[in-house]
Amino acid sequence: MAPLVGIVANPVSASDIRRIVSNASTLQVTDRANIILRVLSALRACGVTDVLMMPEKSGIRRHITRAYERAANLKEDIFPELHVVRQDITSTVRDTVRATAAMREAGCKIIIVLGGDGTHRAVVSQCGDIPIAGISTGTNNAFPEHREPTITGMAVGLAAMGKVPEAFAFEGNKRLDITIGDTIKDIAIVDVAVVTERFVGAKAIWKPENFRELFVTFSDPEVIGMSAIAGLLEPVSRREAHGLMVNLAPPHEAKTLLNVPFAPGIIGAIGVNSVRRMPAGVPYKLDFPAGTIALDGERELAFDQSDDVTITLVKDAFRTVNVSAIMRYASQHGLMKVKAK
Amino acid sequence: MSNNPFPLPKEKLLEAYTKMKTIREFEERLHVEFAKGDIPGFVHLYAGEEASGTGIMMHLEDKDRIASTHRGHGHCIAKGVEVEGMMAEIYGKSTGTGHGKGGSMHIADLSKGMMGANGILGAGAPLICGAALASKFRGDGGVGITFFGDGASNQGTVLESMNLAAVWNLPVIFVVENNGYAESTSIDYAVAVDSYIDRAAGFGIPGVTVDGTDFFAVYEAAGEIIKRAREGGGPAFLECKMVRFFGHFEGDAQTYRAKGENEENRANKDCIKIFRSKVSGAGVISEAELNKIDDEVLARIEASVQRAKKDPLPTAKDLLTDVYVSY
Repeated sequence: MAPLVGIVANPVSASDIRRIVSNASTLQVTDRANIILRVLSALRACGVTDVLMMPEKSGIRRHITRAYERAANLKEDIFPELHVVRQDITSTVRDTVRATAAMREAGCKIIIVLGGDGTHRAVVSQCGDIPIAGISTGTNNAFPEHREPTITGMAVGLAAMGKVPEAFAFEGNKRLDITIGDTIKDIAIVDVAVVTERFVGAKAIWKPENFRELFVTFSDPEVIGMSAIAGLLEPVSRREAHGLMVNLAPPHEAKTLLNVPFAPGIIGAIGVNSVRRMPAGVPYKLDFPAGTIALDGERELAFDQSDDVTITLVKDAFRTVNVSAIMRYASQHGLMKVKAK
Repeated sequence: MSNNPFPLPKEKLLEAYTKMKTIREFEERLHVEFAKGDIPGFVHLYAGEEASGTGIMMHLEDKDRIASTHRGHGHCIAKGVEVEGMMAEIYGKSTGTGHGKGGSMHIADLSKGMMGANGILGAGAPLICGAALASKFRGDGGVGITFFGDGASNQGTVLESMNLAAVWNLPVIFVVENNGYAESTSIDYAVAVDSYIDRAAGFGIPGVTVDGTDFFAVYEAAGEIIKRAREGGGPAFLECKMVRFFGHFEGDAQTYRAKGENEENRANKDCIKIFRSKVSGAGVISEAELNKIDDEVLARIEASVQRAKKDPLPTAKDLLTDVYVSY
């Protein structure tokens, strides 16, 4: 049977320099495999028989294969059939991008994503209209909600099997498009930060004296990372039509200072000059001579005076699975009731 | 505003490029010379991996110690060991760094903090713990770095050293240079938990993975890790993901590689090409300046080979010298 659900699991998220400059977590491969196993059994319990998974060579799938072997030995029929996307493995973000495209082509109705904000961004770049369900395994994790993966698996299973109306099951999200010249160069799903470092290097951003501009799709005072700056200035929900633009400055030059958890365990003074609402559909021209654009926490694009950079907020750019709404619907409509023997 | 967007001034960028290019040409030349049969023993070439050793070693001083592997030429050059002495050592000549008695897998220069290449997999890890302990006691701010490959990461010595470094909070950096091959054994076959970062986490040591083909990614991450260790922040683990242009050893038929893999690596994952493209693209170093370095490096390697070939072999009376060290 064609797989209804795809699973993208980034084996290398949560391994950047923030392990050194802060006490960020390392989510071990065995934990990632166990999360997927919980999701798989939840999907199966909701009727999903076939799942398509991204290949990797960091050991996640080998742990899963061993678990399938153990289940077969114990005669436990608890997992769906697992298919794997056929593609070369590069152990880079390209694997995520290509696997997502393959899942779309294979007709998956929903894609489950294990990763942080960066992995979710890579999936969103390719998923089109297919809703995604996020499971937080990265560093900042502003985008994926924190929840036991079994519940995410159940909600996805119910939605994929058509047991919940789409109006309840899915919701639209905002996106930021980064255009250089006439070309959309990249996207962000949580935040775009402009920093003074002019090379990509180790990618992560952790030096507040270098922060200059911030654009966010939503802002939540309960998250960490760059968007936490906006969250502590003016919370904006994922569903509101606007985002925020924050002009930042070195702490000794700024109009106000804000103590912000901009990395796991690091609460530092951030210099803020102004905060404004960012309407959707209006390109904002970047007025900064040279630096790097960090997308969802990672430096990706270096630019200088010769580059005409604009940033635009896009409404209803992609869909996510509304796990809370699905589980409430399941409760109200008795979707998990079974006949007594 | 300076037109240099990189975290090093131009002279340091030139130094880094010279080191990487010297390593590359040293190894390319050995590949040719070894096939002629003039070189005794075995050689394991570092070509393709230059950004890792150089990006890390640009942060080090002579007081900082490194312990290398059987694939040690690149580490030696990046740490400042003279190529003339290295080449002579590889040819087994008395003018070599080890007076011709060690060869490729035993090049050392303690004056440069290079504790030695090592023919025993994983043997550098406990050595570097000792060096780091000495630095900690002396309070000289020195750090120790041990390199090993994905195969050696399974050795008990490496795991015991990680435990020791964590318990004693030693200024040690464990660097796994992951070129994807443990000699010719697939990681799937030989390693229960493939993530090196996971292993480090098991000892409470923070781990970082970087793109080892990008000099600037290695340089920036290594800088933070080394600074932390120097200031008493304890051990750390760095995984550099990279490619190896040649086989495990010279003469390796490389039947384990996919068709076209070497060509793909040379075309798109060459850390020197990537470095050149970045610094010349940013207008910081011109192609002409880089080409001039290329010519100088080639001439130096040529001279070192010619000298090594002419230099004398050790004699029978040298057999028992340099065997023991007086303390």
